[in-house]
Formats: sequence, C-alpha cells, structure tokens
Amino acid sequence: MPDTSPRHAPGAAAIPRRSVLAAAAAGGAALGASWLLTGCSGAASASPADALPSGAPAGRPDRGGTLRIARPPASDAETLDPASSLSAYEYLGALYNRLVRIGPDGTLVPDLAESWEPDKEARTWTFRLRRGVTFHDGRAFTSADAAYTLRHILDPKTGSPQAGVLAPLVDPERLRTPDPHTLVVPLKSPNAEFPSLLTNYNCYVVPDGSAASIGRTGIGTGPFKLVSFTAAGPGRIAACEDHWAGRPVLDAIDFYSVANMQARSNALLAGQVDLLSQTNLDFATARVVANSDRATLARVRNAQWYVLPMLTTEKPFTDVRVRQAMKLAYDPEHVLKVALQGAGTAGWDNPVPPGTPGHLAAHPAHDPEKARHLLKRAGYERLAVDLYTSAYDPIFTPMALAYQESARRAGIRIRVRTAAADSYYTQIWMKKPLMATYWYTGRPVDQLLNQVFRGGSSYNETAWADKDFDAALDRARRETDDGRRRELYQEAQRAVVERGGAITPMFADRLVGISRKVRGYAEHGFEFDYLGIGLKGA
Amino acid sequence: MLSFLLRRVVAALGTLVLSSVLVFLAVQSLPGDVATQVLGKDATPSAVAALRDKLHLDRPAWERYAEWVNGALHGDFGTSLVSGKPVGGEVGQYLGNSALIALVTVLFAVTGSLVLGVLAGLYRDRWPDHLISTVSLIGMSVPEFVVATVLVLLFSIAVPVLPAVVLYGPEATVGQLLPAVWLPAASLAIVMAAYIVRMARTSVIDVMAGEYVTTARLKGLSTWRVVTRHALPSALLPTLHVIALNVAWLVGGVAVVENVFNYPGIGKLMLSSVQNRDLPVIQAIALISAVVYVCCNLAADLGAMALNPKLRTRGGRTR
Repeated sequence: MPDTSPRHAPGAAAIPRRSVLAAAAAGGAALGASWLLTGCSGAASASPADALPSGAPAGRPDRGGTLRIARPPASDAETLDPASSLSAYEYLGALYNRLVRIGPDGTLVPDLAESWEPDKEARTWTFRLRRGVTFHDGRAFTSADAAYTLRHILDPKTGSPQAGVLAPLVDPERLRTPDPHTLVVPLKSPNAEFPSLLTNYNCYVVPDGSAASIGRTGIGTGPFKLVSFTAAGPGRIAACEDHWAGRPVLDAIDFYSVANMQARSNALLAGQVDLLSQTNLDFATARVVANSDRATLARVRNAQWYVLPMLTTEKPFTDVRVRQAMKLAYDPEHVLKVALQGAGTAGWDNPVPPGTPGHLAAHPAHDPEKARHLLKRAGYERLAVDLYTSAYDPIFTPMALAYQESARRAGIRIRVRTAAADSYYTQIWMKKPLMATYWYTGRPVDQLLNQVFRGGSSYNETAWADKDFDAALDRARRETDDGRRRELYQEAQRAVVERGGAITPMFADRLVGISRKVRGYAEHGFEFDYLGIGLKGA
Repeated sequence: MLSFLLRRVVAALGTLVLSSVLVFLAVQSLPGDVATQVLGKDATPSAVAALRDKLHLDRPAWERYAEWVNGALHGDFGTSLVSGKPVGGEVGQYLGNSALIALVTVLFAVTGSLVLGVLAGLYRDRWPDHLISTVSLIGMSVPEFVVATVLVLLFSIAVPVLPAVVLYGPEATVGQLLPAVWLPAASLAIVMAAYIVRMARTSVIDVMAGEYVTTARLKGLSTWRVVTRHALPSALLPTLHVIALNVAWLVGGVAVVENVFNYPGIGKLMLSSVQNRDLPVIQAIALISAVVYVCCNLAADLGAMALNPKLRTRGGRTR
C-alpha cells in the first residue's frame, strides 16, 4: 500500500506523515470536505433544522428538457432486471410498471392492474389488467407477462430478495391466465393484503420469457425507454411519446453513477447534475446545498426509520420488563432533536411510519421512574449494557449518544462501542445484544411486520418470537374486511411497542439535493414520480 | 557496475516476492469469513457454502497463494467476484485512466518544482526564496483532499470552468477525461511538488557552496553555465530519490483524490473493491502498487548511478 518508506527518505523526516494522512484521508475526506464547505458558506446557524428548507420549489415545469441524475451505483455488477438484488434502482420506476403501486396517501392505487379482488376467503386473487398497453419493443402487454413476472421473481435462479416474501404464498405452477387481461393468483394460505406485497420495487413487470435479456434491454411498459445503460456507469432514457399514462414532462433523463457522496454533492453544486438520488445529505452539506445559487433541498418525509434492536434471545433482554424499561427510559423527542436535528418524526418504538393507513398512534409515555421500577423488579437495578454503533451511517453514533444521555435518568448505564463500518452488518447486526441500525420505509404494513418481526423470519433482527403477535398477523391476513384488518394490524403494532425488542426512536426525513430548476419532484417510500418531474427554463 | 546493477534488481525482485506474500496474507486475514463478507446482508447458508467452494476457501492458504502467483505471472489475476470479468482487463482499464492523471501530475510537479527549487536555492534568503519556501511549506502541510476540495470550490463552483466530478465510467475516452484531469492532477501536484521543491533547494544550496563551483566561478564561467553544467547534475542526485518516492506515493494519493472527483481510476476501483470485498481485484491492485513502487525506486537507483561517477565505479573497485 502507499507507504513512503523512511529508509529511502534522505533527510526528509516529514515524508512518512503522508502515508498516515493518506490512510486517514480516505475515511476523513467527506467529513473534512463538508466542514470546509460549511466554513466557506458561512451559514452554520445555531438551530440548523429550522434553517433547512422543507420543500422543493413549487410551480409547474416547462415541457421537455433533459434531467441529469447522479446516483450511487448498487454494485459493479448492476442490472436492469427489477427482480434482482443488484438492480439499478433509479431506472426501474422510469422503465417499468407494476400491477399496483402505493399512492401518496399510503393506499394501493392501480398501475397495470385496473382492479383486483379476492374471493371470500382471500385465498385467490383476481387482477383485471389494463388494455392497450404496449412494451417498448411494440409487443402488447398481456396476463402472460404478468404471470411470467411472478414466476421470474420466484425462480431460485433469479435470487430475488422479494422471493422470500412471495414464495410462502404463491405457487408459480398454479398461476392462471384465463384471458389476456385477467391474472388469477391462487395463494397457499389466505392473505387479504396480498396486492400490497406486489408494490415492492422487485415486482416491476417484465415481458414474458425475458429473464436472459431483461438485465440489458430494460424493456418495460414505463414512461421512459432505454437508450443506453452501463453498470456502475452512465446511462440515458428517453420519453415514450404515446405512453398509456400520458407523455412524461421531460424529453430524457441522464443517469450518472457517482459512488462518493461528497463527489455527488460537488457535482450538484457545480451544476453538473440536477438531482441526487438515494442520497441523504449530511446536515453540513445540506446547509451548503440550501444556500447555493444553483441547488436547493427537498425532503422525502420519514424515508427511513432508525432502530436499536435488542436481541430478545440474549440477557438481559430475554426479560420483557427489561425491554419495556429500555423503551420507557428514554425520550424519543430528545433523540430526534439531538441526532436528526429535528428533521424527522419521533417513532415511539413503532416502526410503522405515521401517516400509513392502519398506523397505531397510541403509545406509552416516556416514564423514567416506571423504567427504574421495572428494572428493579426484574433484578437489574444497575443495568449497564454495551450499545454498538459504527461510521456506517452518520446518524448511528449521535443516536446512540442521545439515547445514552436520555436513558441515564432512569439509571441505565449505556456504554457506546464503535465497531468497524465495513463488517458492521456481518459481525454486529443480529449478533450483539444491542446495536444501532436503520431500515428504509416504503414497505406495506403487512410486509414490514412479517419480515422484520415475525418469529423465524430471516430479517427478524431482534430474534423476537411472540405467539400472540404472529397469530394477530395470521388473523389479519385472513380478514377481508378492511376496517377489521386495520385493527388487527394495530393490535400487532401494540405488541411490537409493548413487548417487542426494537427500540425505534425516530423516522428520518431524507434530505435530497436538487437543482433550483427542478419542478414537480415527488418521492415517497419507493415511489418516484417520473411522469411529472421536469425543469423550469429547460 | 554490472554487479551493482544485479544487486539492485535482485533486491527489487525480493521485495516484490515479499510484498506478494504480505498482500495475500493481509487479504486472507480481513475480519470475518470472506464468503459471508462478500454476500453481506443476504447471505444464506447455501449461498455461503457455494461461494466458499468457488473461492476454494477450504484448501490450504499456501496452495491458493501458489496458484495466484502462478496466474499473476501469466497475466491472469482471476475473475472479479462482483462483475465476473477477468481482473487483469478490468484493472488495466482503470490503471490506464490513472496513468493519465499520473502523467500530467508528474510532468507538472517535477518540472515545476525543480525550477522553483533551483530558483529558491540560487536566491537563498532573498524574496524569491522566502516566497517559494513559504508556499511549498503550506502545500506540504495541507492534505490532498483539502486541496482538492478548495480547488473544486474555486474552479467548479465559484467560477465554473472545470468539471467538479467525472460523470463517465471506466470506458471513457482520453478526450472525455481530459477536461477532468486538471483538478485532480493539480491537487496531487501541489502536495507532491512541495517536497521536491524543498529537496531541490537544499541540494542546490549545498552544491553551490562546494569548492568546484567556486573554481568554476573563478575560471570566469557565467552563472548560467556554472548552474547548468556543474551544479545541477550533482544537485539533482539526492532530489532523484525524493522524486521517485513521490511518484510511488502517487499510487496512494490517487486513491483519495480520485474518489473526491469520481475519477474512474485505480484508486476508485481500489475503494469499491475493498467495500465489496472483491478479493482478486484487491490483490491485483496491491501487487501492481508494489510493482510501481519497486520500479520507481529501482529507476531512481539506476538514475543516480548514471549521474554519479563514484557510484558507477565503486562496484568494480571493491571486487
């Protein structure tokens, strides 16, 4: 590695310093640079969150123009296959459609399916598909493509992350296509929330038989068609003139892959790109962007939730009273203020984002005295635990320290330990009894609760196994009445809040850097409005 | 003279072998099981088993080392775990892009700093010396990523004349990369030049105080002739090693600077392959860095020999 051996340095004692700096710089570059930029912008105000604008510029875009998006590459082996774990996320919503998607209010809205209904037991779902839709290569979209998409996701060779969610429900052999505009999905077990599981970004519809080529061709039914694509490199998509949902405002979108976050924000500040996708700006950079002549800030509300999972299989968290005490002991509003500078919403240990249909708003109040009392009864009067964090995400450590400070009032001693960022998710996550992590929101409530909290699920990071909770989820899946089903999901949330192992202090807004020319930017969860986004003065 | 040459080459080869062992061992001892690291959050037991099998992790380390070295000697560095392409071609593409930065950097840093260093030495303790020395001291103390950020701030954001980042991938042509080369090269050159300026200044001062320079002056030669014919060759000698070290340092310097500029070079590849645990790529890059390093030092040794008659003949006399 780049070492300047002192043996060869004639009288230049300063030389070895560089090798130290070179190593330190790799980690410190972003920090140092953002500090520097903040210093120059002269905008380091005392109450930072207030200084950050809360919305993108309003107004209508002009028709036409090319939007330039900088994105972090998923991998050097990126693909346009939506089902793949290495899909180039930003392209998907522009190139493809799903059967159903999630609307701005959190409810399901039609995409390629115009309507859908279950049988009485919610054991078989029938989707009525939109007519007159064509793929970019001119072929008509039919139920065969919709059925193939599901089979492609479930194919073990695809290795789709969504297969784990759908495989227990859908038998690929039993899908039926009675006519070109009807898809019938018989389920292995009743599920009244099944359509919501198809809103996932792995579920974009691809043409029948396209598994071998879809990763390169990107042929879908979406508002844009592929012009060029390079894995972890540049690419371009162009508007479809006669798209079934109307012509997009833009003429084209250029995608550029920029791995380093500081480089991405520099590109925006220098006017080389118009939007930074999948990028949560740190607060210092966000302020620089907000004060720039070319760029400004937009927000994706509650884009991720932060969590301190307690492993319920490890002492002392095997005791439900200790888990309750850990939650009552701290003030989520305090953690939100300190770690996120207020840019988010307090979570109150419920991972279902506020505003989602069926969100349970009620929660126990912050009560350090009660926490102290519970610990005493459980025999952990002087509880001291390690809380692991890392530089993997800039919020982890501030969150851990804010929790530490807040919980101290209930007599809980937290030792914050920093682990290496690059092995954090293999060595610490689901291995240490208490650590800091986060999830992206955007999962439907059924998928969220089943994936992250059901006993035995591979993403169940608290290793929690609660029969009543699992039973509530099962009952909800069988319940076809929307109102009663919501109540059951609320019952499940209550179980998570009161008995589960996840301390969920807050939901964080994503601070998105966009050019001042961008109009009509709308993004929530995993939904991005590619039809309406455009430029002013393009 | 021949034995001196041989000794240097053998030492260089020995260094290379040693570094290949170290590189291999270092990569093997990365924390955690390699297969789990590569697969990350989505590692299922069967996927881990399959990857362990593919990487031959069940075989003894020395066997895998021998195989790797053998392949590397034939130009085969294995296939990338991420892209599935041959590592040699992939690394070569990125290396070529980095060579462009390195070439521009070396050209400007070496010529510029030698001129400045000699000037400072000749005008010792007068205003040109003070100016040059102060500026180069500042250049020496500021790390390259700060220099890079300041340059972006000045030339891309305040006065947008040069691109802040490269938006092309590794397959970009020289024409596409050329406008983006100047800022990264300047950041590297500023830090690098500082050392060479200081060294060149010191050796010029030393040499100019030497008796043979006084003699040359007494003979009535012009200052220009004294400097170019008599002083410079000797003054360059110690500077040569500093230049070689700095060129070798570039390999590390680009890692930081390329990431700030999103420049598709070897430094960016190195960072992404470390993050992805793409072991064959990491090993290849580390080995190539070692080769560059050893070659630079070897070139400096041989260059010094060419400039210094004493070194050239000593080998012959001791025999």
